[in-house]
Amino acid sequence: MAAVSQGFKTDLLGSIPSLRAFAVSLTQNADKADDLVQETLVKAWDKHESFQPGTNLKAWLFTILRNEFYSQMRKRGREVQDSDGVMTARLAVHPAQHGQLDLEDFRGALELLPEDQREAIILIGASGFSYEEAAEICGCAVGTIKSRVSRARTRLQEILKISGEDEYGPDAISAQVTGSTAA
Amino acid sequence: MKNMTKATTAGVGNGRRAASRDPLGPNSEIGRKLKQYYDELVSDNVPDRFAQLLSQLEKAEPVQKKD
Repeated sequence: MAAVSQGFKTDLLGSIPSLRAFAVSLTQNADKADDLVQETLVKAWDKHESFQPGTNLKAWLFTILRNEFYSQMRKRGREVQDSDGVMTARLAVHPAQHGQLDLEDFRGALELLPEDQREAIILIGASGFSYEEAAEICGCAVGTIKSRVSRARTRLQEILKISGEDEYGPDAISAQVTGSTAA
Repeated sequence: MKNMTKATTAGVGNGRRAASRDPLGPNSEIGRKLKQYYDELVSDNVPDRFAQLLSQLEKAEPVQKKD
């Protein structure tokens, strides 16, 4: 069995901040996130031989972390899943005024998204992955990622009551109506 | 009023074109917040437990000296 190279270990260490950020985004819980990162590091170490040097280590690690997350969720019977309905009603988000949007509100809104949409918008909009890379990480088609990102974005805009930014169709009109009250 | 409506319409038009290229880019409020949210998480201090964990793994399976 080939030994783990020093470079691999250094790269693993360097990936930890990104892994933790992705893990928190998925779990919405700091403790669970760090446990998930720990599992990911152990798994990555064990199967380091399956990583091909020169390819994207971050994407490889994100894939491991994501698989671990969903396999844990399955074991727990998806206790945390309920993004639609009930929780939406409970959350009081203040409408964004004149583009001012509080980060706390945003965090709350993000939490309301179904996991598949949340991970898609995080991978594309924050982690810096391409649609192709995100599709590989999530094990789905590029088109699926695109539609998840689009739905996530629309949903966030609805929850946060952001209007008038690059809307499609009827929303462009409602943005004008909203805007006219300020005029 | 008429001028304002025109300006708004033009603005929306530009926004729509920009959005089709990068709907989560810097012109998007959602895009900006998303990055702010994530960057804050990335810049969080990494607990020692992770460096310790890697050292333990290394002891169990030493790294190559060369490379």
